[in-house]
Amino acid sequence: MPTETVTATAPGSTAAATDDGEVTYLDAIKEALRVEMEADPDVFIIGEDVGIFGGAFKVTKGLIDKFGPLRVVDTPIAESGFTGLAAGAALMGLRPVVEFQFADFISCAYDQIINVIARHHYRTGDAMPVVMRAPYAARLRAGAFHSQSVETYFAHTPGLKIVAPGTAEDAYGLMRAAIRDNNPVLYLENRWLYRRVKASGPLPADPVPIGKANVVRPGTKATLITYGPTLLHCLEAAEQLDGEGISVEVVDIRSLVPLDAATIVASVKKTSRAVVVHEDARFFGFGAEIAALVQEECFWHLDRPVVRLGAKDVPIPASAVLEDAVLVQTPQIVEAVRRVATT
Amino acid sequence: MATRSRSGTKTVSDEQDVEHKQLPDRDLARRMYEVMVQMRATDDRLVAMYRQGQLPGSYYSGNWHEAIAVGTVAALRDDDVLAPLHRDMGVHLWRGMPPRQVIASFTGKAGSPTKGRDGTLHYGRLDLRILNPVSQIPDNYPVATGAAFAAKYRGTDSLAVAYCGDGSTSRGDFHEALNIAAVMKLACIFVVENNQYAYSTPLNLQMATADIASKAAAYGMPGERVDGQDAVEVYDATRRAVDRARAGEGPTLLECVTMRMHGHAEHDPADYVPKELLAQWEARDPVLLFERRLVDAGYLDAEEAERIKDETRKFVIGEMRAAQEMPYPDPTTVEEGLYAD
Repeated sequence: MPTETVTATAPGSTAAATDDGEVTYLDAIKEALRVEMEADPDVFIIGEDVGIFGGAFKVTKGLIDKFGPLRVVDTPIAESGFTGLAAGAALMGLRPVVEFQFADFISCAYDQIINVIARHHYRTGDAMPVVMRAPYAARLRAGAFHSQSVETYFAHTPGLKIVAPGTAEDAYGLMRAAIRDNNPVLYLENRWLYRRVKASGPLPADPVPIGKANVVRPGTKATLITYGPTLLHCLEAAEQLDGEGISVEVVDIRSLVPLDAATIVASVKKTSRAVVVHEDARFFGFGAEIAALVQEECFWHLDRPVVRLGAKDVPIPASAVLEDAVLVQTPQIVEAVRRVATT
Repeated sequence: MATRSRSGTKTVSDEQDVEHKQLPDRDLARRMYEVMVQMRATDDRLVAMYRQGQLPGSYYSGNWHEAIAVGTVAALRDDDVLAPLHRDMGVHLWRGMPPRQVIASFTGKAGSPTKGRDGTLHYGRLDLRILNPVSQIPDNYPVATGAAFAAKYRGTDSLAVAYCGDGSTSRGDFHEALNIAAVMKLACIFVVENNQYAYSTPLNLQMATADIASKAAAYGMPGERVDGQDAVEVYDATRRAVDRARAGEGPTLLECVTMRMHGHAEHDPADYVPKELLAQWEARDPVLLFERRLVDAGYLDAEEAERIKDETRKFVIGEMRAAQEMPYPDPTTVEEGLYAD
């Protein structure tokens, strides 16, 4: 679907666009892949059903026509095998982009990621430029095996970088940065956002640096710290709270590892109140690390204890009403901010 | 050792030990011998260092496996990628890693290939086209398919050789790597060093098949079972696999039958191994078998062989001293190097 229209992005590139001329989160990823594959012949895609079929979500649809089957490689169902293959190819100087059909299936490659890929540079000094795309998280009524958030399993492992874009612009810019990075990058793309969010203007001309948070909305009374799909809920909550006279700053972490502590700390020191929100389960969730950071760095600036909002600590249930009951929803965020900002 | 043929895989018998197969040319054969001797001497030295309490961890001996490491690597080009096992020191020595670096890896010195970041058997240098092994064997089986994939991607005819033991064939990565390599017709050689035991687990508790080479049929690739004590036979079989791989005919599974004469590592007395089994294999020292071949062929005389062994022993003692004199890594650098620039 490479429609040669709209929003010029990088020199010589054009982004695929929707009918209304705006680039979706999904097409932004595809466009980033296309741009980087054009720029560097060593970049290739590997995974299940990524070729003619274009992937389960069609992120790679059409790329095989442009780049051929040697650069868009269909594999047997063997997550550990093709992740290991990617590692070996990376050691030989190629730049593989691995697609896990669902983040839920990344567990099958856990050993290769943890033991081979993540610690390789520290052990040997050899670069390991592997991008691992993992469509993750819930809200699509897909149940316990197609809805998981996997970031904390990997955030605890030194040597990986982890990004989780929440906007189409970041989906594009972070993918380009991930492909150019000489380290393994776990790229958590959110399935619920694929066609739900669009770039509000042209895609960024340059890659979005990994390791930089983004103050998406400035505010003064409280800081909402989040990443991925719940960015949308936080922005919605902030808008609503603004109507109540509560000015909320929203910080999109977007790069979980390395973490941009400075941006988070600066925001909380300004607002004195922090609510951490994520899609993943609360217990031992990424928010615990953020809350600990804020406590360590901003203790004397805090007016209220840090609040953490996350999914209930159960597997993601399939039925819509159950799934909704497990995940963080906008009203909970509004309520939490109201409580810390007005008492 | 088994001599029964299954699924068309090639087998060997003890009688063949006394036959004169086609030796590699004189220079290559002598080099193979020298590296086998160096591997044995370095291995003996590390065993001694372990017993003297000079190693902080254990030592994983490649004793009796010398013909496999050297017989395979001798059939390759320098641009071929290797993913060796901890019993394959010979492939590192063949490619030019000095014994001092191996010893330094076992002592955690700054001069080890990983500068002390990793240790013991985790040595391997990408500049020598040797992948550094991890402990979760055969994790480097899939990684080796990646090296072969890169060759295909770039249109070169270099290949990748991955090594594992009999125990590793039970793991999923063995299956996934062989299947992927066969489906993609990658230039891979999968060497299985069947040394009868995976730590304490004997073959009959590891697999229900009588041999490993026959597993190749399940992947649609040729499998060959050879005498792992015979460097010439290993070399010949590797050559056949190399020819297939370079011709674009895909991967080969090569089972090399040997015996682990030491424990899994030196801390392991291996009292679970029947003494009679060890006695059977005692007479089949791959270094001596190869030496006899070379002497019979007139490539080497007995005196020369003794001189080579003596000089190598002295050389390795010097390498040990060099490793002992190396500094330890600087602890203040411990957080450096997590990421590449």
